[in-house]
Amino acid sequence: MKAPTGTLGQMGAGALGLLGGGARLLQVFRKTLYFSLNGSPQPGEVAKYMYIIGNQSLVFLSVVMGFIGMIVVYQGGIQLLRVIPDMSQLGSTYLELLVKDLAATICALMLATRVGAGIAAEVGSMVVTEQVDALRMCSADPIDYLIRPRFLASLAMTVVLVVIAGAIAAITGMLTAQVFFNVRPSTFLDFSQVDFEDVVLGLTKALAYGAAIPVISGYCGLSAHGGSQGVGSATTRAVVSSSLAIIILDFVLTTAALLLFG
Amino acid sequence: MIDLAHVCLELGRPILNNVSLQVPEGCLYGLVGPGASGKSVLLKVITGLLSPQAGSVRVFEQEVLGLPEHELFELRRKIGMQFQNNALFDFMTVAQNVAFPLRRLFDLDETEIEDRVSERLAAVGLPGFETRFPSGLSGGQKKRVAVARATIGEAKLVIYDEPAAGLDPVSSQKVFELLRREQQRSGTTVVMVSSDIERLLSVTDRVGMMLAGELVFEGTTAQAKASKHPHVHQFINGLAEGPL
Repeated sequence: MKAPTGTLGQMGAGALGLLGGGARLLQVFRKTLYFSLNGSPQPGEVAKYMYIIGNQSLVFLSVVMGFIGMIVVYQGGIQLLRVIPDMSQLGSTYLELLVKDLAATICALMLATRVGAGIAAEVGSMVVTEQVDALRMCSADPIDYLIRPRFLASLAMTVVLVVIAGAIAAITGMLTAQVFFNVRPSTFLDFSQVDFEDVVLGLTKALAYGAAIPVISGYCGLSAHGGSQGVGSATTRAVVSSSLAIIILDFVLTTAALLLFG
Repeated sequence: MIDLAHVCLELGRPILNNVSLQVPEGCLYGLVGPGASGKSVLLKVITGLLSPQAGSVRVFEQEVLGLPEHELFELRRKIGMQFQNNALFDFMTVAQNVAFPLRRLFDLDETEIEDRVSERLAAVGLPGFETRFPSGLSGGQKKRVAVARATIGEAKLVIYDEPAAGLDPVSSQKVFELLRREQQRSGTTVVMVSSDIERLLSVTDRVGMMLAGELVFEGTTAQAKASKHPHVHQFINGLAEGPL
């Protein structure tokens, strides 16, 4: 096939490439879901990746969310002081934002850098060293063998991490409000604006991000080619694509929740 | 056993161009040629790991092209493969690597798997290496583990991609003798790619030579040695002067 020439031709080729990539990513996702229900048994593999994704990310996420909590409450408080010198709504507004959006999205963006890069590098290096071909020769589908355990582990541990890191962000926010704005903890921890729909939305986002990160990163790893440069490129694509997917999913789920719950 | 007809493959650029090749059952077939001539790609086409854009690939009387994934998996039960980079799973021990095809492809109890792994490792000269990891092995030892994994399933067709690359002459000779011994013992069909022409020709029954994605020669080992084809003559005899 001749390479397209001219701006229009190259734009068309780019669009076709993007569509093809999207279709292959969807196929990886579909196969991951299929193998999650019908995959071959791999005792201990899901638990191993739950430890790697969950336990090994906990400190990193706790530190990040701790600082995020402090920054958001401090900046929010300053802005609020300029409009109305009433700090009683600071906690309830912050907690609503945290539950609906902030905890899940910031955690997922951080996980995309740590977990997503790890998955893409691991799978990508297996591709370029022919280990994935060796799996295929032994009737092991790489999506079943490599992506499924990471997918199931990520699904479970992203929700757990979001809950824990969200709680830490609430505590650091509370302490910041007390130190800088003299807001008492009992006033700050006002969950009156957090309703059931907000909790459902936050957890749905955590689940969606937890599913997206390993599938996108695994796909990037599986499409690696060449040598170490190919693995590096796959890792970069995994982080960029996962982060982009998280932002898009955030927008889509928030809009859907708005339409559903008002 | 293997019947390729007019196979063409492009991976961004032409890799295989109108390759037709037959490998009879029980034959030890050597595939030679300069680097990037398409030898390793051809091996992957035979196993269905790569799909050509045109042509026909028949293995065990079955058309490989267009086979659904589960039927390809069934076909690959009958094929053992040693990859150019060995492709040992670095997160598994030597025993787990060698046992992997048995665990995936056959319904055997653990005792039998362990016995067969020990027997295979002894056959390739690595007894007692069961608990070692690939990262702690030398290049020659990795090759031998890869050979053990390729042959443990007692496949009817075994494919070796550069089984002696990077080895010293003694280790290289040992690997070739081992492969010949294995082939004579089991009567399997073997397709082997190697740059060590002298040793390769000492064990093969038939030889094919690839050049820029085309099969430029195909015949018995004696015919290859006596070939007047300028490229084949230069390559087989390792001459500096010539068209290559």
